[in-house]
Amino acid sequence: MAITEKTNRETPPRGATGQKFRLADRWRGYRAHHRATLSSSLGKMLGEPIQTLMTVLVIAIALALPSAMLLMLNNVQKIGGDLESSSQITVFVAKLAESKAVEGLALQLEDLKGVISVTYVSAEQALEEFKALSGFGTALRYLDENPLPAVFLVQPLLSGETGVSQAESLITSIEALESVEDVQVDMLWIQRLNAITEIGEKVVLAISIALGIGVLLIVGNTIRLAIQGRQEEIIVVKLVGGTDAYVRRPFLYTGTLLGLFGAVIASFMLIGCFIWIGRSVEILASLYQSQFELVGLGLSGVLALCAIGAVTGLIGAWIAVMQHLRKIEPK
Amino acid sequence: MIRFDNLSKRYPGGLEALSNVSFELEKGEMAFLTGPSGAGKSTLLKLLMLMERPTSGTLLINGKNLNRLSRSAIPNYRRQIGVVFQNHQLLTDRTVFDNVALPLQISGYPASETGRRVRAALDGVGLLDKENLNPLTLSGGEQQRVGIARAVVHKPKILLADEPTGNLDPKLSAEIMAMFRRFQSVGVTVLIATHDINLINTMDERIMYLENGMITDDGVRHGHH
Ligand SMILES: Nc1ncnc2c1ncn2[C@@H]1O[C@H](COP(=O)(O)OP(=O)(O)O)[C@@H](O)[C@H]1O
Ligand SMILES: [Mg+2]
Repeated sequence: MAITEKTNRETPPRGATGQKFRLADRWRGYRAHHRATLSSSLGKMLGEPIQTLMTVLVIAIALALPSAMLLMLNNVQKIGGDLESSSQITVFVAKLAESKAVEGLALQLEDLKGVISVTYVSAEQALEEFKALSGFGTALRYLDENPLPAVFLVQPLLSGETGVSQAESLITSIEALESVEDVQVDMLWIQRLNAITEIGEKVVLAISIALGIGVLLIVGNTIRLAIQGRQEEIIVVKLVGGTDAYVRRPFLYTGTLLGLFGAVIASFMLIGCFIWIGRSVEILASLYQSQFELVGLGLSGVLALCAIGAVTGLIGAWIAVMQHLRKIEPK
Repeated sequence: MIRFDNLSKRYPGGLEALSNVSFELEKGEMAFLTGPSGAGKSTLLKLLMLMERPTSGTLLINGKNLNRLSRSAIPNYRRQIGVVFQNHQLLTDRTVFDNVALPLQISGYPASETGRRVRAALDGVGLLDKENLNPLTLSGGEQQRVGIARAVVHKPKILLADEPTGNLDPKLSAEIMAMFRRFQSVGVTVLIATHDINLINTMDERIMYLENGMITDDGVRHGHH
């Protein structure tokens, strides 16, 4: 028993088989392993090109659809913004303003940046117009005084991304002018448009969530099949001391790559579509003498889509791995 | 090094595969576990690999109680052990070299160190010239030797084998056993389960006879007990 007690006092070896190699080597080995896992995951995917392509295409469509809707919504909002910034501004002149001040105001308005025309409607003209349009002509005759103010109709032309903010700053500068009583912009239909696009945003969000869950399921199913196909390997790896993290790593890479490739193809689909549609939009816009241009995905959009695809793929793979990997134990 | 203390194992819904098994194996000792089919030999090795957990009793490795080892500690424990199983064999999607390298890769060995150790292990089993072949192209005896190389490549303290000479002819079987003895001679504790009594009778080593889950004979040859 003496020998047993001696062996009992020995400290068991830690880690693999002692720590003969340095930490830096270990880190290099770890990185090399990640690289090897990535390339073998890639190799396995390319080894089944049809299966992989089909999965990636389904993911691509699921990503492209809500993205396209979101882009369309963005463009509608941009049209709204352009129209908003070019809708007519009504400037009410202060009642007590003298004619000299009114003339000065006309000049000042014409000088403002982004104003293409200024039309003066005097209080008398306004009253005549009102009489003609309202049918209250006789009744109005009994008024001592013209209740209507003189107005300037200001037509701005501001477009591009900053159109709305330009319009807002124009309105602020008009309000700051002397002899201006009030400034009004016909915003009702723009508010309606905004309400509609808000609903659109919610619809796109709901569809995105549904299709996102779809992507999770597709990736999850693909990974589940991959796990089943590599059961033998998983058992051997676990028997020689592979950790859970080591075993799941290739599957997480596969899921991430599926999502990433799906996103890349979705980006190509969207860019292609927008180039194609963009031509027609250009023709239409030129017929309306508008400088409207379709807003596409852009580099940041492509990057965001790739990130979303990769993360969704990773999560899908993670769910599958959590469900199926634990059950595979050497027996 | 290995100590079974009144250990019993009952599979769910089955009879006791092992009942009140007690024995001790010292560091650097070599022993055979034999007995008829269904005696519980594989079960005993599976308990040592933590592929199964005992129903009662304790199992001490190097004085550590395996019952207290958590799930997350299992991989690290298994890395101290080399195992040759008759089933769970070689992976056919990679070369002999990559099969043998697996225990090193999972521990994050650098490539240069891995190459050196894999070649040393393959040299030890006489298969250095086959490193780039697929295991499927090897004979049964060669495949078993690749399995042994994989079991020892990370220089484990304990080497376990379940029917390592399973389908091999007597000459190849003797060669394999000689290999195990070489590992023992450098201080590895070796435990081999086999039903091939003729073979182990020629080897002059400790033989534990297992029947119906009980040790009926423990021919300890090297004295301390
Ligand atoms: N996973 C299992 N579930 C239920 N019973 C099992 C299982 N594995 C083995 N057994 C039973 O345990 C007993 C011992 O089996 P085993 O350890 O494989 O014996 P040996 O390796 O000596 O042939 C047998 O009766 C066998 O049927
Ligand atoms: Mg057996």
